[in-house]
Amino acid sequence: MITCDEFFAEFCNYFDGRVSLEVRDELELHLSQCRACHALYDSTSKTVKFVTESGSFELPENVTESIIGEVMAKLRTGKT
Amino acid sequence: MSFLPEVELGDQFQAFAAFGEDLGFVPNLVRAQSLLPRVIEAQAVLEKGVRLSQGPLSRAQTERILLCVAAIRGDVYCAGLARTALRHVGEPHRQIEGLLEDHSCVDLPAAEIALLDFSLKLSADSLSISSLDIERLRQHGFDDESIIETAVTTALAIYRCTLSVGLRPEPDREAPKLRPGREVSVSGVLADRSASRSGHETSYVRAPYLSPETFAPFATLIRTHGFIPNFFRAQTLRPDLLSAEAELTSLVLLPEDVLTRSQKEAVLLAVSAANLNSYCVAVHCNLLRGLGVSAEEGDQIAVDHHGSSLSEADKALLDFAIRLGSKFSEFSRDDVVRLRALGFTDPQILETVVVTALNNFANVLQKGLGIEHDFDPPLAFEQKKVHLQTFPDRPIARRSATYPVIEPGYDPDTELVTEARAGSLEAFEELVRRHSRLVYRALAAMLGNQDQAQDAMQDVMLSAYQHIASFQARSKFSTWLVSIARNRAIEYLRKRGKEVSLDEPTPGEDSDFRPRELRDWVDNPEQAYSRTEIQKLIEKGIMALPAKYRTVVMLRDIEHLEIEEIARQLGLSIPAVKARLLRGRLMLREWLAPHFAAGARRATQ
Repeated sequence: MITCDEFFAEFCNYFDGRVSLEVRDELELHLSQCRACHALYDSTSKTVKFVTESGSFELPENVTESIIGEVMAKLRTGKT
Repeated sequence: MSFLPEVELGDQFQAFAAFGEDLGFVPNLVRAQSLLPRVIEAQAVLEKGVRLSQGPLSRAQTERILLCVAAIRGDVYCAGLARTALRHVGEPHRQIEGLLEDHSCVDLPAAEIALLDFSLKLSADSLSISSLDIERLRQHGFDDESIIETAVTTALAIYRCTLSVGLRPEPDREAPKLRPGREVSVSGVLADRSASRSGHETSYVRAPYLSPETFAPFATLIRTHGFIPNFFRAQTLRPDLLSAEAELTSLVLLPEDVLTRSQKEAVLLAVSAANLNSYCVAVHCNLLRGLGVSAEEGDQIAVDHHGSSLSEADKALLDFAIRLGSKFSEFSRDDVVRLRALGFTDPQILETVVVTALNNFANVLQKGLGIEHDFDPPLAFEQKKVHLQTFPDRPIARRSATYPVIEPGYDPDTELVTEARAGSLEAFEELVRRHSRLVYRALAAMLGNQDQAQDAMQDVMLSAYQHIASFQARSKFSTWLVSIARNRAIEYLRKRGKEVSLDEPTPGEDSDFRPRELRDWVDNPEQAYSRTEIQKLIEKGIMALPAKYRTVVMLRDIEHLEIEEIARQLGLSIPAVKARLLRGRLMLREWLAPHFAAGARRATQ
């Protein structure tokens, strides 16, 4: 079986689904047998899930519109 | 007389002795490289690994491949060399002459003919190989180990032939007569060629995991390349061949006693581009970036090195390599003379020939095994490829086939950009509207401050308008916009007297971080917190990250961009983006753990 260090080395690729099937099998075998790596994997998955689904850093539409409006006004009047 | 002078190395020279033992003599092709003994050692390692391997292919099968590929390429020297070796292993005279004439008319079992068919197709038109060709080999009983060996042997044949064109050695024995102008019939379906372009297909053969801790060639690759290219990972079923290739690569590419590593990488990039091998183009663009060459310069070398900022001499070096590696029927002594006139020494010319041979070896092998991409190739290169539907003279081009159009990497903004450049403010407005959120998020991440990000947005948009005439569509418009945002952010940070830390990390900086908080998290944290609370926690956590991690996490996990795209936008290497992303995610995880770990008290905001 692979070691925790080897698991950690492939961690990022595994997350992004960028490992071959063979490597994935190895990593998943390790995950099923190592509690610490499993906890790390599970909590990182949750972190990434929260971040990707959070819709964070959304600029309110009126703010976007006012910024674009100002920019376009400057460009139309040639005051850049 | 071959193109380059020879020096006496003595038959005691170990690599010579190896050839002598194997073939009964030292081939002139090998002697012609005597100016640079290490490249002879490199070839000896490869030849021994492939031809004397204990793998499933017999020695006769291997030598037949070398013979037929040389014959179809019209390479009299290499055909003669392989004929001698085949005689050496007891192949009947008539059979050898038959193979030189036309392998399909020789009395061999169907499986043997299928094997040669595959090798000839791979050597003649590597881009046409698809999983169906592999399937055909499997139907004839060849397993994954034999398929790898066949592809590597074919690649060796091309390595030899490229050397032979570049060095023009005298025949070792009586030269065989080859039938001129033979064509390789390229059968099979070309349908999945377009699939081989995208970076996410898996290679044709199984590849069990090998650890860099126990498999020394992998550890070496990490040291020399910074990562283990899929090119090598795909061959783990045959660690013997893989080791030989890794050693070949090290002996040819690592020493900088003759050409610099950057020169060699530029040769590999330019010839791979001429051979339309997207996989190798992407790898060498990335390696060049690691050597300090900008992404734009790498892309330019792939698209057309004449437009790059290389010296005139180095451009001529690439012209030489491209003719040798991709238009070999035009290559002549004049090419060698031209380089000498520009001040290149004979060892430098020799090394260029060898690097080009190594390149063609890799191009052929990558296509033969359908090795999946490590990185996306430059967009501009993929777009250029579309215009090259007929390739007049790739390695063995005496064949005709219709090529499917390869879909380019596509920028949905192209039309609007054209209109905006022609002065349409409406088109420009639509462009900034499309990307306003991306620009905001990139700025917020780089500046670490959402209010300042709002202020800076105007500047970025105005600056984009002012400079749109200079946007050359070598990258996507959105990539270009983020690079403007990045420059603006750096200016802002400088003005605020902050240390600017958006630059490339020093080696190892990103790899030493290890998570400390390893408690399990509660099963459903989303039940304990409202959506808004989670969103606030995430925003706070991300803003607490150092800028360089924050930016990558923002672009990947919030803006959902591909790693390759982020690398282009930030001018970073792909491994650097990956390392930062991993570290950023882990730091954010650590930051969130007190809120979500089992047994943690529900923190209030």
